[in-house]
This record gives sequence, C-alpha cells and structure tokens, in this order.
Amino acid sequence: MYRKSLVTVWVGVLAVSLLFLGCPKKKPAPAPEVIELQETVVEEVETPTPPAVIVDEVEDPFSEDLETANIAAYEMGLLGDVYFDFDKYDLKPEARERLAKNAEFMRAHPEFEMLIEGHCDERGTEEYNLALGDRRANATKSYLMSLGIPAGPIEAVSFGEERPQCRESSEACWWRNRRAHFVIRGRQGG
Amino acid sequence: MTRASKTTATILLTFCVLWSLPGAAWSQQGPPPEAQEQLSDPEVSVVLEGRQRSRFRLAMPALQVEGGLGPQVRSAAEQLEETLRTDLDRSGVFDVQGPMQLSVLTLTGSDDRDFELYRSLRNELLLRALVRQDQGRLILEGRVYDLASGKVVLGKRYRGDPAIARRIAHTFADEIILYFSGRQGLALTSIAFASDRSSFKEVYLMDSDGANQRPITAHKSISMSPEWNPNGRELAYVSYYSGSPSIYLVDLTSGRKTPVITTGSLNISPSFSPDGKQMAFARSIGNGNAEIFICNRDGSNLQQLTHSSGIDTNPAWSPNKREIAFTSSRTGSPQIYIMDAEGANLRRVTFEGNYNDGAAWSPDGTRIVYASRRTGSFDVAVADVVTLESRLLTNGGGSNETPSFSPDGHKILFTQKRTTRNGTTTQIFVMDATGGNRQQLTTQGNNSAPVWSGFKN
Repeated sequence: MYRKSLVTVWVGVLAVSLLFLGCPKKKPAPAPEVIELQETVVEEVETPTPPAVIVDEVEDPFSEDLETANIAAYEMGLLGDVYFDFDKYDLKPEARERLAKNAEFMRAHPEFEMLIEGHCDERGTEEYNLALGDRRANATKSYLMSLGIPAGPIEAVSFGEERPQCRESSEACWWRNRRAHFVIRGRQGG
Repeated sequence: MTRASKTTATILLTFCVLWSLPGAAWSQQGPPPEAQEQLSDPEVSVVLEGRQRSRFRLAMPALQVEGGLGPQVRSAAEQLEETLRTDLDRSGVFDVQGPMQLSVLTLTGSDDRDFELYRSLRNELLLRALVRQDQGRLILEGRVYDLASGKVVLGKRYRGDPAIARRIAHTFADEIILYFSGRQGLALTSIAFASDRSSFKEVYLMDSDGANQRPITAHKSISMSPEWNPNGRELAYVSYYSGSPSIYLVDLTSGRKTPVITTGSLNISPSFSPDGKQMAFARSIGNGNAEIFICNRDGSNLQQLTHSSGIDTNPAWSPNKREIAFTSSRTGSPQIYIMDAEGANLRRVTFEGNYNDGAAWSPDGTRIVYASRRTGSFDVAVADVVTLESRLLTNGGGSNETPSFSPDGHKILFTQKRTTRNGTTTQIFVMDATGGNRQQLTTQGNNSAPVWSGFKN
C-alpha cells in the first residue's frame, strides 16, 4: 500500500513540472512566414504551362499531310464544290463565283496537285452518267484554266453516279450529288 | 422397254475442252457429266406444228430413287430435281405440273392406267426421272413420254460426280427444251454483272437461273460494265483501280487481268465485235468530250469513229459486225443512233422519250432494247431497227434500265431500281422478250449491268 501511494505522488509531481516546463516556449514566433510559404507553393502548382498542342494549331495546315490539308481547305471555305442542273454541265453564275475562290487558293498553293471529280445524281443511267461526270469535271477544269490556273497540276476524273454524297431519292439530295468536287491529291515534286 | 436395247448412242462431250481447263470460272457449276447416253430412239415424233405459242403441259412427278443413296448423293438428287423443274418451268416451253399438283392422283403402278390419270389433268407429256448411286457417282435416267401414245420420245442417262448435280440437271433440261422447241436451252449459260454487295463494286458471274453467284474481280475499287467476248472465255470490264476508269480483260479460265486501254481520263462501256477481235468503247478527248472509238482486242489500232461536240457513249456492236449502236446527246438529250462500223451512215433510232440509253442488240440483229425515259423514270423499250417502231416492255414499278438479250433472243435481262423504306435498291430481273413472266435473280447489295453469255458449246 505504501508503494502505491508513492508512485501516485511522483506522477503528480511530474505532471505539474511538465506544465511549467511547456509554458515558456508558447511565445508569438515566425508562424505567419510559414503560411505565406505554403501559399506560394500552391500558386506555383496552379500556374498552367502552355501545352504543345496550342503551338501546332497556329501552324499552317497546308504544310501537313494531305488529309489535313483537304479538310482544312474545305472547312476554311478556301475550296468548295460547284453544282450543276440535271443532265447539264454548264457552269452557273454561282458556280463561277465559287471557282474564282478555288482559283485563289490554287494560286496561293501552286505546290498542290489537284483532282477534280465529276459526279452525277442517280436519275440518269449509269453508263451515260460516267460521260456526263467527265464533262462536269472538265468544264470545271477549263474554267479554272481561263482564270489563269495552269492545267498541268489538275486532273479531272468522272465518278458518274458511283460515289454519291447523299443517298436519298429526293431533289434535296440529288442537287448535292450533281457536283464537281476538289481533292488535293499531291504535292508537285513530292 | 429394256434399257440395253434402247441405248443407241453415246454422246461425245462437246465441251470437254473447256472442262479440262482447271479452275474455269464459268464452269463452277462443275465439269460436264462423265457420260451421257441416249436411252432410246424416239419412237414417235410429237407433232409440233402450231404449238409454238402455247406451252406443253408436262407432268413431272417426284424423282424416283433406285437403291439406297448416301447423304451426299441424296442432297445432290434433291438439288438436281429442283434445278430440272425450275429450268423447264422458266424455259417458257413447258407448263410443269409438279408433285403438288399431281398429288390428287391415285397412281396404280400400271403405265396404261397411270398415263390416263396424268392425261385427266390435261397433261400431254410425262417426265420420269430416276436416280441411283454407283461407286460414289450419281446416275440420272430421264424419260419423256408422250402421254397420247404412251411412248418414250426422249430418253437420256447421265453419270457424274454428285457435286455437279446442278450441271447434270441443266444439261438434261437443255436437251428436253431443244427437242420440244427446236431451240437451244439457256440452262448452261451464264450472266455477268456488277455488284456492290462486298461494299466495293466488283464484277460477278451467276448461272442463268441466278444460282452460284460469285465474284470475278477483287480490286476493292469500282469495277463495272462487264461485256462478254463472244468466245465466252473472257470479259472486258471497266475499273477505277489505277485511278481513272480504264478498260481491262479478265480471262475466266485463269482469272488473269490484262489492261486494254488505260491512258486518258475516261475509257468506258466496252463492247466486243461479234468475232471477238475488236472492241468499241467510249473515250474522252480534249476537254471532256466522250467519243466512240474502236481498237483491237489488245488495245492496239485505236480509231475514232464519232466527231461531235455532244456526248457520244455506250456503243453496242451489231451481231453482223456491220453496225454500231450508241448514245449521243448531239441534239441536246441522250438518244440512240446507229452508224456503220466505219463511223459513216449515221441514223437516229429513238424519237420518243427525252432520255434513251443503253442499246443492246437482239441476237438476230433486227431489234434493240434500251432504257427509255418517257415519264419520271426509265422503262425497258424495244425498237425495230428497220421500221424504228418502238414499244415499252416494262411499266414502272421502279426505274427499269440496262436491258440485254439472252443468246436465244427469247429473254431479256434488266435492272430495276426501287425506293424502299431502307433507301434505294437495284436488282437484276429476267423476263420474256415480250415483257411477261418476270423473275428476280439477285437480292444482295445493288446489282447492275447484267449481260448474258453466248451458248456454251
């Protein structure tokens, strides 16, 4: 019993002395500095670094592969299709306007070899449409030549009704199939 | 009626030369039967006069089987029976009464009584076919009876591999058709066409009944417009596989492809001269002006036949080699013209309709069939090349185009484009040259430009 009470006393003394030992260290110290440092670290992490993709987007799409060049030329409106009336191959005024823009693009990119595809709607016969599509492609090519575009890098091919843009049987679809379509098919010397 | 006494001749196989060529594409029906024998001399000759316009009513009860058949031979026998019945029915020569129609009869087993029963259903002829197996080979014995006299008028025995059951049936059908109509049957002929069923348009062949459809090209491009060399061993066709539409030949025995005309932006619509030595086709010159040219089969000796500012295309060489029909827009709309094979003596053939194209000659050279647009869509029309009288053979139901004659001139192939809920579909049909009795031959993908081979000799 005596021993037990002695231990209790010693524990109590130790606890009181610890209280007195801790108190003098609790003074205002350089704590705000630590907080500031933490904030700086957070800011640095959140700062976006410019990704490599952005650099690519501003580059010239026409120096890229041909697929990119074709998509870009049509999306940017630098190239466009021209449309024809049924069983006709003469160029309407709006077609000539469109071809003037296409010619501008071809002048700006003399390195491109172009393919002009002549297409027809499904209402004619398959065989006759092959010859009609040839007329459409070549009428388009001739007009570009009259605008001063050299014939050399331009090839004309007829697809007749074999590659329709749209497959419904209505005029809403047919007019889109009676067209001359432009494809950048290569680079000269490349 | 013993078989031995009736057997008088063994027919030599006239097509054995073609048979010996390995892998012949057209002969995927198989080689000819190994043997065929005449079972009897006709004991009577059926009176044919005055019968050309009506059909013979022919009873064709179910195939008889002698002895047991292995499973392979049994299925070959079923195929044979079906093919034989279809060939005879479609020939236009017979009105076939099959087991269904004959099931009302209670047959006795005695010929005299049974023939009378067949006659009671207004049958004039009876075809009895018997099949048996001999050392893995299929043997067909067929006899055609004249029911009035009860005599056998045509008897044949064929022996061959069960794998060529369809070909055995076709051979027998053609014999029966020849005997009763005097004209060569079409059962062994083939049809070339183009189809996009593989998602690419390729050239295909099928048997004349629409069976056995198989691709001949695999360019994975656009391949179209097949035309038979009259020798039956090769096709000319158009393909885009080197970029622009060009003309090629495909040998149906070896499958080998040979370029014919590949220079220039457009070479289309080949048509062989009847001797197979030359080809007419349309070729673009200058600024996209299609003109009719001819050349030798190998592409040499190119000559321009037309010189007009309009489109000239789709030539068809006449069976007598002296003339070429073609389509020209020289007066504004596409119309059909005929010139002589040197390019002179041009005359216009079509005057009705604002769009006529795709002339194909009848084998006797007296008529052309073509696609004619008189209202909204095309119909098949036939015109007499002398009187220029024309009439329509189809009446709507879709756009009916690219007609061509069978080698006997009694049938016409054509395509019909229809708009369905799932978009447009183009299928190949065959009809009588008078416009009736229409049957559809294709169902897969879109199919175009069907052309019939000559007779397989």
